Amino acid sequence: MGIILQAKQLNKTYCLGKDNHLQVLNNVNVVIERGEFISVMGPSGSGKSTFLYNISGMDKISSGSVTFNGQEIADLAEKELSSLRLNKMGFVFQQPHLLPNLSILDNIILSAYLAKQSSRQTINEKAIDLMKKIGIAELAHHDITQASGGQLQRVAICRALINQPKMIFGDEPTGALNSQSAMEVMEILANINELGTTILLVTHDVKIAAKTDRVLYMLDGSIIGEKRIGKYIKRHKDLKMREKILSGWLTEKGF
Amino acid sequence: MLFNMMKKDVQKNKMLTIILFTFIMLSAFLASSGTNIIVELTNSMNALFTKSNAPHFVQMHAGEVNEVELTNFANNNPFVKEEQIVELLQIDGTNIYFNGSNRLGNNSLMDHYFVVQNRSFDLLLNLESEVIDLSKGEIAVPLYFKQQENLELGDTITISNQGFQLDVTIVDFVRDVQMNPSIVHSKRFVVHHEDLNLLKANLGESEYAIEFLLTDLKDLDAFRNDYQSASLPAKGPAIDYHLFKVLNGITDGIVAVVIFLVSIFIIMIAVLCIRYVLLATMEEDFKEIGVLKALGISLLDIKKMYGMKYIVLSAFASIVGYVASLFFHRLFTKNMMLYIGTAPKSFSLQIVPLISVMIVFLLIMCFCMLTLRKFNHITAVNALRSGTVREAGRRQNILALHNRLPFNIHFHLACKDVLSRFNTYCLLFVVFIICTFLIIVPVNFLHTIQSPNFIQYMGVEKSDIRIDLQQSDHIAQDFNHLMEKIEQDEDVDKFSPSVTSQFKVINNEGNEENFVIETGDFTVFPLEYLHGHAPKGENEIALSYLNSKELEKNVGDELTIIIDNREKTMIVRGVYQDVTNGGRTAKAALPFNNNTALWYEISLNVKHHINISEKVEEYSKTLHAAKVTDLQNYLVQTFGNTIEQLKLFILFTIIITILLTILITTLFLKMLIAKDGTRIAMMRSIGFSSKNMKVQYMTKTLIVLSMGIVGGTVISNTIGQGLVSVLLSFMGASKMKFVIDPVQAYVIVPLLFMIVVSTVAFVSVSSIKKLTIVTMNS
Repeated sequence: MGIILQAKQLNKTYCLGKDNHLQVLNNVNVVIERGEFISVMGPSGSGKSTFLYNISGMDKISSGSVTFNGQEIADLAEKELSSLRLNKMGFVFQQPHLLPNLSILDNIILSAYLAKQSSRQTINEKAIDLMKKIGIAELAHHDITQASGGQLQRVAICRALINQPKMIFGDEPTGALNSQSAMEVMEILANINELGTTILLVTHDVKIAAKTDRVLYMLDGSIIGEKRIGKYIKRHKDLKMREKILSGWLTEKGF
Repeated sequence: MLFNMMKKDVQKNKMLTIILFTFIMLSAFLASSGTNIIVELTNSMNALFTKSNAPHFVQMHAGEVNEVELTNFANNNPFVKEEQIVELLQIDGTNIYFNGSNRLGNNSLMDHYFVVQNRSFDLLLNLESEVIDLSKGEIAVPLYFKQQENLELGDTITISNQGFQLDVTIVDFVRDVQMNPSIVHSKRFVVHHEDLNLLKANLGESEYAIEFLLTDLKDLDAFRNDYQSASLPAKGPAIDYHLFKVLNGITDGIVAVVIFLVSIFIIMIAVLCIRYVLLATMEEDFKEIGVLKALGISLLDIKKMYGMKYIVLSAFASIVGYVASLFFHRLFTKNMMLYIGTAPKSFSLQIVPLISVMIVFLLIMCFCMLTLRKFNHITAVNALRSGTVREAGRRQNILALHNRLPFNIHFHLACKDVLSRFNTYCLLFVVFIICTFLIIVPVNFLHTIQSPNFIQYMGVEKSDIRIDLQQSDHIAQDFNHLMEKIEQDEDVDKFSPSVTSQFKVINNEGNEENFVIETGDFTVFPLEYLHGHAPKGENEIALSYLNSKELEKNVGDELTIIIDNREKTMIVRGVYQDVTNGGRTAKAALPFNNNTALWYEISLNVKHHINISEKVEEYSKTLHAAKVTDLQNYLVQTFGNTIEQLKLFILFTIIITILLTILITTLFLKMLIAKDGTRIAMMRSIGFSSKNMKVQYMTKTLIVLSMGIVGGTVISNTIGQGLVSVLLSFMGASKMKFVIDPVQAYVIVPLLFMIVVSTVAFVSVSSIKKLTIVTMNS
């Protein structure tokens, strides 16, 4: 399979004023294999989102190293990082963050038009195809105000997928959705992962984390444990079992 | 608490506060300065008119006067309080030397009159507004020449002729209630009566100004009728008190009006800015406003929280603007102080500008309150549930991306953004329109007034050279001599002489009134007629626009004039624009009558290979009494002062406009980027680099600028041209068309804006680099 992302001795410190520094990440080490579906859990303020933004190059690390796809991202210039995010990474946030003056289809094809990996005609077809797979094809020419929260999050996932990224980062992608929509979104992500895309997402929800292969647990800026629960098989009983195992483990960790 | 909130807000938005402060201060400053000029101009003019005891009615006359006859008329007329006959000795410019050198030459359009101080009215004043009193060997020179020739007290003026020379020393400069403004082509030099007699004995021609002071100015019209129907000397124009006021006030009056208009523009911009800032703040704090409402804080208190800062800011800026105007308004009144002088400080001078500043403050307050009314529509539930203001009017179908238009993605997104949320860019668009208008209109007007085509608004046919012969005893001989030379001159392509004479016309009330008609063949040189064409037959006449309006005669109408005591019916064949002679002239193909001639003109064109300046020089030498000018020189001499003022105004406008552009663009981009923070961060997260985003924001700004420039230019060339035309129609040119220098108007001005705005935008968008999802979340 091979490693897609590796963080070594990763530290992140924020300067809050003279002689006032806040260490948010503390010697974090992690290895992520290609095709993995990982979730990061931990209490509020444990540094989950900071971890996600630092390993994805969205934020500058204070020390240590992060390699993505064999490339040290701490050394990259802003332009190269943008190109990396455009072509190799995809992001899904808690809020869909779509551009209000673009139609749903336009929001999806936006980054593909920028990346110019294929012709605009092909991009349009690909976007429609993607929307069909995710079940929102009928919304293509709608305004974003005409879609529900769950639908918009699916649009955000389509947008993240349009350039066929190697890895998708999700910062609580189901955090603002009701449980049914959250499960639907997770089904979609699981399907994407099955097709080979690595996914790392931050979540508070055990039900969500239970659908991933491996769970990292963070506390006070460090990964203090991880639980491999293996590939999720789409059976109701199996999910219940995974949730139970995970809950037990999290309780041990003090979650 | 409110004070602390304000303090924090100011600290947080320093730049914004400074920009808004500057605008309000500037509008208060200009409003105060504008009203100050108007009040001071009115006061100073009243002071000048009182001090110099300005005449109410003046009849110029080139020829002999019968003093007894005039005195009898004055004594028997019930309206007359005092009467005087002023002898004006006209000396040619070629005979006058300033500090030893003759700079006036033959090309000066001015008539140089040498006079002595008057006894009781129409007094000539010095720079201290005191009545000039001279000894032998001393002279007081018109202010016009002080400025034109840079003369100082103590300089020498030599008036010489073959075998005669008189040296006089400048001891004063003349503030002349009648002939101050440069648009008046006559200037009075004051000398001692012995010197005048000496001059008279050796050179010059005498003319007379028959002046009357009336018991009551209201009777002016009645008196004018009396004078005109009494067959008294009238070989020359008649002027009155009202015209003196208009002529004296026009230059500074226009400056005041322009300053006032600029002030209104800036108030508009300040108001738009405050509205924009308030709405942006409302959008940003939408949730917080909801919380405040949910907590039970009254709407009024919430409005106070958001509006108080602007009330305090406006009040403070207005005070600073007013105080600044007290110190700097002299900048605008320099010209007025020199030509008209200062009046004693009056109470109105203090109070009127203060009132204007208070109006500025109240206007800003009103608009602030109106904008704050939007807070009424925010409900607690609405704000807390949605968290954001739904932006109305977003049109996602405009320039849809999936339509695969052949645009660069950044340009496409920029265009789409500008078009789909145009309301957001409206402030910038309006400001760019105003700025373009403010520069283009004066630039176009300057180019128009400097262009040879402007001659068509002066009722003058377009020709290479114009020769003017003023009234003198030997004017007819001079004219014949000149005509002989022109007829024999092989360099001359074509020429057309004309004679301007005084006639009488029967006006609408059936009364006779003096009427100046230029007679000649007007088909030789082209003059653009507003309606109709040049008069051809002997019973045809063309009227200037103002004459046509006043006499209510249009093309095809009949007009009765009196020639040699016989009534003659003329048919109006054309109406033309003319700003000369008070806009009241006429042209007819009547035979020349040397006896009634006021002045002669010859228009001539030279052949292609002939150098016009050399020809001007040649004819000037041929006949010293003739004023020979080429077209450009004629315009420069007539409008020299206006052109200089206009150039200064344009420079001032360009500086102000550029400052305005810089301030507004900075303010706008700062606000827009803050407002679009999440959108920028999101786009960066999906792969747009900060450089891509900067390019997009710069492109958006330049798109709005281009739209503003196009809009501003169109408005300048339509409404702007119309406005200037309306102003000029009072002077006699009703259909002025801008002569546009395409390089200036369509290349230099837009380029200037592009450079300024690009630079400002480049600096302003640098904050985009700091906007990432991480910073937005924190």
